Amino acid sequence: MLNRFARRLALMLMAAVLVGGSAIAQTEIVYWTHEDPNRTALEEELIARFEADYPQYKVVRVTNPTDQMAQLILTAFSANRGPDIFNMDIPNEYPYIVNGRVAPVNPAAAGYIDEQSIYDAYLPGTLDPVTFEGELYGLPLEVTNWSIYLNMNVFRDAGLDPLTDYPKTWEQLMEVAEKLTIRDGEIITRRGFDFRYPYYLNFLPSMAAQLGGKLIGDDGKSAIVGDEAWLRVLQYFKDWGTTGKNLGSPTYKAARSIFNFDNNDIGMMESGQYQAARILNDNPGFLPGEGWMVIPFPQWEDAVADVAEAYYGHYWMVNAQASKEKQQAAWTLLGYFASHADEFFQRVAVLQPTQELLNSDMFKNAPYSDVFMGDLAKAPVIYYDENSPQVLQVLKDSIEAVMLQGKEPADVLKTMREGVERALRGEY
Amino acid sequence: MWGWVFVLPALIYFAVFSFYPIFNAFWLSLHTKNPLSLRPPRFVGLRNYLDLLDSATFWNSWKATGLFTLGTAIPLVVLSLLLATIIVSRLNFRRFFQLAFYAPAVIPSVVAAAVWLLLLDPRGIANQWVNFVLGLSGVDHKWLANPEMVRFSTTVVYLWEKLGFFTIIFIAGLGGIPQSVKEAAHVDGAGGWQLYRYVTLPLLKPTTLLVSVMAMIFCMRTFATQYLFTQAGAPRESINVVTLSIYTTGIRDLQLGLANAMSIVLLVVMLVLSMLQFRLSGRGEG
Repeated sequence: MLNRFARRLALMLMAAVLVGGSAIAQTEIVYWTHEDPNRTALEEELIARFEADYPQYKVVRVTNPTDQMAQLILTAFSANRGPDIFNMDIPNEYPYIVNGRVAPVNPAAAGYIDEQSIYDAYLPGTLDPVTFEGELYGLPLEVTNWSIYLNMNVFRDAGLDPLTDYPKTWEQLMEVAEKLTIRDGEIITRRGFDFRYPYYLNFLPSMAAQLGGKLIGDDGKSAIVGDEAWLRVLQYFKDWGTTGKNLGSPTYKAARSIFNFDNNDIGMMESGQYQAARILNDNPGFLPGEGWMVIPFPQWEDAVADVAEAYYGHYWMVNAQASKEKQQAAWTLLGYFASHADEFFQRVAVLQPTQELLNSDMFKNAPYSDVFMGDLAKAPVIYYDENSPQVLQVLKDSIEAVMLQGKEPADVLKTMREGVERALRGEY
Repeated sequence: MWGWVFVLPALIYFAVFSFYPIFNAFWLSLHTKNPLSLRPPRFVGLRNYLDLLDSATFWNSWKATGLFTLGTAIPLVVLSLLLATIIVSRLNFRRFFQLAFYAPAVIPSVVAAAVWLLLLDPRGIANQWVNFVLGLSGVDHKWLANPEMVRFSTTVVYLWEKLGFFTIIFIAGLGGIPQSVKEAAHVDGAGGWQLYRYVTLPLLKPTTLLVSVMAMIFCMRTFATQYLFTQAGAPRESINVVTLSIYTTGIRDLQLGLANAMSIVLLVVMLVLSMLQFRLSGRGEG
């Protein structure tokens, strides 16, 4: 009797060890990403399916406020406690590549034959920002370019026909914005258009490039090349700001955050294709083609180059300090995500620019895909380098100086150039 | 022996969370270090400090900190003393006023700044209220857009946030003045103002010194309001206080050595100013 009990106990212990052993063998990977309710729902579904297909892997997905991602990830990595997977916008991610903090893509784990087959799968050029010294360091969660969203109801309210009166040039944009703007004294109660502050790297260099200007010179040391072009851009913002025509300001609530609700407070704003999903989520009755439409990024009347707003990307990256097992698991998950580019586009309207998706009817028939793709074809990639956050700060200070403080463009041009060149030299 | 035992937990706490970070900051201030780089810090001696001396941004941040501290710490001390005196002199609703004035102090600075951002929006209550009081219409006072107004706005937010905290300290100080001294002065014929001027204020001197030193240190360490205001589009230059500059240098520019050198300079300045206040206060007593 005692023997039987001892045998049973031994069997139970062995079973416990085996079950426990299999649990220990499960590889856990931690994924940090920014908040996006639509994407959270989709990724949680995909993760559940992934874990069912790959029971040896467990995924912990953590969302963080978008504006805190950069500092949270930096703090974690500086303490050598970074997540296994993360994503940010490329200007913030690029230093992680340069400093060897992220691992190259494992094509086999991600479901590709080799690295070249990954390049072949995506729109040419869209993987360039994550290619460093001949190796690929990320897969795109989204590649985004902004065009102009237009509230058709606001146009009609101002006696304009959105289909014919929409602005094609920067000069027209200012005229139309003036017609759409409503003020109570100095206080704007409806803006015709407002820029997407403080993301100046997205649109300022493109506005200057249309006039022949450059953010960084060909030698990589000179900056703000083309005085005439940059002076025109700075003057435009001076005219736009509170000391000029008073058409908008960085201190008003972000245009993008109020557009969706169609409250007669914003006529036009800049955003990417993902905004369509957010409008649908926030205000299902506000429909494309009836309530809102998308128009191309304006050009100057005397533009010398046809340039659209810069595109940027959020790329999934894998921590180089993660164990080999975790890196393998991470690229397997990311390959799995990337293989569902159609679902990401359909449900969240974020573009993972695979050739397959871009050639699909679903993408081609989505509202205003043609406008976004037309602009993307003319869009340079956003400026990204180790010093891009400092460069952005200099641009921000410069625009605020002309818009809010009424400083003269000629004076600001000088400090702007000095500031960017100082950033290029890595000086404080 | 038992004294050391009781003091030991506090010593360990300060050693781990205050002294170690200070020594580590000083050590790092003598090096260059990119937080993303896996390479060890490189010793550069006093180069970071010399770079700071040459930097217009650094001096501007001291100007912003100095103006903010002067414009905020002095009103903080005066107004909190005034409020404490009024509250203590009241027989009714004393607890209610203490609670009401202290409430903003328990709200996290970030939340307070976020609430004030809504109030200071061009279409917010601040413009409406000021225009109503001044009998104006449609005037945008540019609370966040004009560099001077931004400076003023950060002062208002900070006063609102910290006034209750210092008022409570003054109330405690006023409560500690022996009633017998006041009664003796009263018997000697002192009137209300004489009692306050020649009895209460001198006896309140240790509390006033404590409040003035704390107010100065708090103001020099201000960060959250300036950070959130600049994130919301306010011009940076006039409110680019030293702490904000430390943050951008370390987190945005990835120059930890330089950021730590700035921290050490800030620490030394705060120490010197605090000691000066104690010294001047002691001389007054002598």
